[in-house]
Amino acid sequence: MITITINGKKIKLNKPVTILEAARKSGIHIPTLCDHPMLEPFGGCRLCLVEIEKMPKLQASCTQQVTDGMVVWTETEKVVEARRAMLEFLLVNHPLDCPYCDKAGECDLQDNTMKYGPAIGRFKEGKRKHPECYDDPIIVTNMERCILCSRCIRMCSDVQGADAITITNRGNKSYVEPFSGGRFDCEYCGNCITVCPVGSLMSRLHKHTYRPWYIEKEVETICSFCGVGCSFVAQIRGDSIVRVETRPDLGLNKGLLCVKGRFGFDYTVSSARLKSPLIERNGGLKQTTWAEALSHAAGKLKEVKEKYGPAAIGAIASGLCTNEDNYALQRLMRSVIGANNIDSTTGFFYGPAQRFFEDIFGQGATLNPMQGITNSDGVFVIGADPSAVTPVLGLQVRAASRKGIPVVTVGHMSGLKRFATCSLNPDAFSEPALLNMLISGLMKKRPVCGENIFFEDIIKKFMLSTSDNISDACGLGKSDIDKAVDELNLMTNPAILIGRQVVQRSDASVLLLQLSVLIYLLNGRIYLISELPNDQGLVDMGCQPDTLPGGRPVFSDSMRKRYEDSYGAEIPSAQGMRLMEMIQAAHEGKLKALYVMGENLLLNLPDTGYVKEALLKLELLVVQDTLMNETAELAHVVLPACSWPEAEGSYTNFEGRMQHVKKAVHGEAMEGWKIISEIAKIIGVDWDFLTVVDILAELTKVSPVHKGITYSEMDSGNCLWPYNGEPLRDIAKDFVLPDTKLIKREKCSGRSYLSADQQLFHSGTIGRNSSALNLLMPASYARIGSALNEKLSVKTGDTASISSGVKSAELDVIIDPDIKGMMVFVPNTAADKGALSFMKWSMNKDFKNPALDGNEIEISKLRSKAEEVAA
Amino acid sequence: MNILLKHIEYPESTELKGYCESGGYKALSKALDMKPSDIVDEVRRSGLRGRGGAGFPAGMKWTIASMDPKKPKYLICNADEGEPGTFKDKPILEKNPHLLIEGMAISAYAIGAEYGYIYLRGEYPEAKEILEKAIIDSYAAGYLGDNILGKGFKFHLFVYFGAGAYICGEETAMIESLQGKRGQPRIKPPFPVNEGFLAKPTVINNVETFANIPYLVEVGAYAYMKIGTPESPGPKLFSVSGSVNKPGVYELPMGTTLREIIYEHCGGIKDGKKLKAVIPGGVSTPIMTADTLDCPMDFVNLPKYGSMLGSGGLIVFDETADLRKVCLRITEFFEHESCGKCTPCREGVGWLSSILKRMCSGEGKPEDVELLLEISKNILGKCFCALGDGAAIVVQGFVNNFRPEMEGRAGAQA
Repeated sequence: MITITINGKKIKLNKPVTILEAARKSGIHIPTLCDHPMLEPFGGCRLCLVEIEKMPKLQASCTQQVTDGMVVWTETEKVVEARRAMLEFLLVNHPLDCPYCDKAGECDLQDNTMKYGPAIGRFKEGKRKHPECYDDPIIVTNMERCILCSRCIRMCSDVQGADAITITNRGNKSYVEPFSGGRFDCEYCGNCITVCPVGSLMSRLHKHTYRPWYIEKEVETICSFCGVGCSFVAQIRGDSIVRVETRPDLGLNKGLLCVKGRFGFDYTVSSARLKSPLIERNGGLKQTTWAEALSHAAGKLKEVKEKYGPAAIGAIASGLCTNEDNYALQRLMRSVIGANNIDSTTGFFYGPAQRFFEDIFGQGATLNPMQGITNSDGVFVIGADPSAVTPVLGLQVRAASRKGIPVVTVGHMSGLKRFATCSLNPDAFSEPALLNMLISGLMKKRPVCGENIFFEDIIKKFMLSTSDNISDACGLGKSDIDKAVDELNLMTNPAILIGRQVVQRSDASVLLLQLSVLIYLLNGRIYLISELPNDQGLVDMGCQPDTLPGGRPVFSDSMRKRYEDSYGAEIPSAQGMRLMEMIQAAHEGKLKALYVMGENLLLNLPDTGYVKEALLKLELLVVQDTLMNETAELAHVVLPACSWPEAEGSYTNFEGRMQHVKKAVHGEAMEGWKIISEIAKIIGVDWDFLTVVDILAELTKVSPVHKGITYSEMDSGNCLWPYNGEPLRDIAKDFVLPDTKLIKREKCSGRSYLSADQQLFHSGTIGRNSSALNLLMPASYARIGSALNEKLSVKTGDTASISSGVKSAELDVIIDPDIKGMMVFVPNTAADKGALSFMKWSMNKDFKNPALDGNEIEISKLRSKAEEVAA
Repeated sequence: MNILLKHIEYPESTELKGYCESGGYKALSKALDMKPSDIVDEVRRSGLRGRGGAGFPAGMKWTIASMDPKKPKYLICNADEGEPGTFKDKPILEKNPHLLIEGMAISAYAIGAEYGYIYLRGEYPEAKEILEKAIIDSYAAGYLGDNILGKGFKFHLFVYFGAGAYICGEETAMIESLQGKRGQPRIKPPFPVNEGFLAKPTVINNVETFANIPYLVEVGAYAYMKIGTPESPGPKLFSVSGSVNKPGVYELPMGTTLREIIYEHCGGIKDGKKLKAVIPGGVSTPIMTADTLDCPMDFVNLPKYGSMLGSGGLIVFDETADLRKVCLRITEFFEHESCGKCTPCREGVGWLSSILKRMCSGEGKPEDVELLLEISKNILGKCFCALGDGAAIVVQGFVNNFRPEMEGRAGAQA
């Protein structure tokens, strides 16, 4: 126990902290500028100087550790004078342009000067000149205002890990600048803007559009971009969000945001925003009234049901929509239509992967708190680059690496390249061979422990059946494998991060079993890289053809009865159709009506040509969405739903944390769940949902895992799996070994394969309607590695022609030397040139999701950039 | 007095052969037969104080570092001699490189370091070539390497060339620079002896400090302490520049008076002029007036005269010197070299120099000198490291000792 005295007040501390921390804990304010709760102490601004008895000089309280018996004074004449002096110094080269500066009103320098500074400056010499820089589309830099506290630099290198900016020059000629010169070559997280205490790093998007005191309302809400579920404060003026801000103590992101969350929210006011219902008339979509649109949709659904039976109707749910919307949709399908045909693109990866692991390790096995990553002793990442698709999750991996925790990555991951202690980049589709080598290597060092006899039996059988198939065909040397095995062997409770690419392939079940073995051997905790804000919620709400809300199987009579009693309707016991099965059924003319909520099928499904054919055959296509898109263009009825900030609800993130999404602005559209209940009402079933509270109340009554949850519990931030509920503890005993022949594949070298590029700036769903993100996101491109480049001899910026069996297009080339072999990466962001539109698929027989591996494509150089410029 | 510069008088003193013939590397051989802790004890007993400026007892540094359980340990030689008026390490680096190598090898053995770096000032390219050749020769002769002199001691030594930043002479900024980062001082504690280079225990000593080690080991602490004064034992290199007849580097016992240095060793003031002022230890030490000539040059006595020993770089001014311009020149140096990390140094020193510039161009105002004192007071004791403090006490020294001239009322006008 350490006792110190600050300003006569005795403070007891359990461990040595800085004087500043001790003062803050006991409510004593010491002014600071370079200090920031998200950053390590720096000691540069000297504003926090304090007097310590028995020490001749003033000491910076942000760097000085307390010692037992220390007596500190923070407001003596000497301290006050020093503070005033520091502020006078800081203003020597500061332009004092507060009336013009956007930061005025929330500027730390301004506030501190008004409170502690000299009223009049004595500096009469010339100030440093440095013109404001507009070279970047998003970040404006004004280095005359900079006080060189280095908060931005420390944020960028020590927390974000982007190392994009630096201090150039020395002494009073120093200024902050990106290494790339004027335009930032960075991840655009904007966390530097958050920590800038003055008006030096500002968002260009908001420049001169508002002043802090114009903000009328602040709403703490959850970001709508990915499955991490970051919290932020939406600042509102009138009916629009002017800015989103973070706070170091807010949410699980603790003050951090990524480019999408910080800058992308303007998609909600894009010109593609749907505001009034549309109905198809004379081959085109025409504006109509809610009454007509709803009665048309409902009437047609009823008609199709009567004519072809409920099985001819399907519904697509969405991880972009709230739990309440998704719950309402599954209730419509199960209780009003009477079919289990409900699925979503979450069923392409997140759903099946979770199911697979839960079958082995129990329900909730993949729901682990995010902080566990930095508290673990190892990280293994496969299948997606979390720093691109779920950036704040990626930061956890980077932070772990910075702590000295070993990080092993499998596959091409540019965002973790500098953070992985071991990057394994195997040949295309040879991950099973690689994992086999890792597992057998690890088992030699660490035999199975006997904890789970059932699973160890499976491991034995599996390893026996794969031993013949092991080939060294993953393109990595023995030393690479040995090093990785050594790194893995250091781990006793690692975080295992798993992404989309391990499941959207024909050998997914092999890979998932291999990963399960690895998880078992390493005692790992699973994290599924959830790309949509409500992947988990959608699964929990029963928007899968085989599960009811709460993750209970639809074939369980007792469970079904529980819901039937509550809904007052019979639910079919047979599993419904998966998404791609619905598309196939539509193509074959068996599925007649499709209700699509918040999903653009013509962007996010492979072989879009085929999907389009299928959709055109439908008798009824209802699209309920917030933004106009390619799928809605084909719809018979388009129902505009409230966008994310316009409606109340909840998302469940990848940890299983339910979070409250609050209404921040008023919108012209209707809440998603309300549209659905209106349709139910017209069909003839009256639901008594007046607000989302009613939906949540029903869910918490009927779902065995969501017992008693309220929005205020979510607001506490700790509404975490398994809530107060009863998770299924049974582990499946009828485990079927996957076909291990799948491991052995023919050599893929020499051929080019297409893969969807993981894009940091947007994922092609809502983000492509954000004008801010579009400033950063290049038009669609083909990213290729050195090997393919040697064959094509192209330069970055040249145009290439790429063609698959189903589509051809021209794309600009980007060379990325880190890409191995002949892979071609195309982002799935532009509907006409999205990666998926080129892809053929086959039905994965285990998961009924589209397998996208082995998509061979032709790529050839069309013309060089130089030629284009000359022309 | 001929200990640190002994070998220089021999022909080919930079060559291994010349160094060995004049008695070099005997101390290393003796040291490797001693227990490392005995060497540390010997250095501690000798009272040897660091020759870089601050005068921290070398033995204490070594003791703390050798007791730290963390491994590996590193040894760094501060050869970033960049302060105007200081060039006392230059003769060792350029004429007697093996003395430094021998001193470092002994130190490394004593503290248990296997790797050493010489952080060399970027403006000493000749020294770089000479040192690198000397290191190669030492490896070949078995004075460096995996098994030094066949006695199982491993020590590897590298030269790291600075890029011209004065701040990198500050030990933690030097470590940052060595690690490839921007040269800025680190928060202390932790001190380098516990968490230095790559967060491992690191001993950093000045070139001259290391140069004292072979002699100290050879004769032992008792004999070593007979040189100099009880509080500041040992020989000291003084680099003398300015208005003297024989400027240069002189090796003299600690405690030699200013008068003896200027009038006996340096042949008095040039052209028989009158002495006006002396900066005793490099430009970061306050200027002294002509009536302080009897001050002994050591760590204890100079502070009594309002200055410091610093690096021992004397700058002598005669009656014709324009001290306002001198003050401006020195302040501009500090402004240029401020790293920019902390506010008072970055902004305050620049402010001082802009006022002085105006004063020197004839646009001074009566209140300027008071303002200089005010700003200096506001800088002093509030900076992150000693650089800003140095600038502030220098201006204070000029104003306090030569106020009429600083105010433009008296003194020589150039």
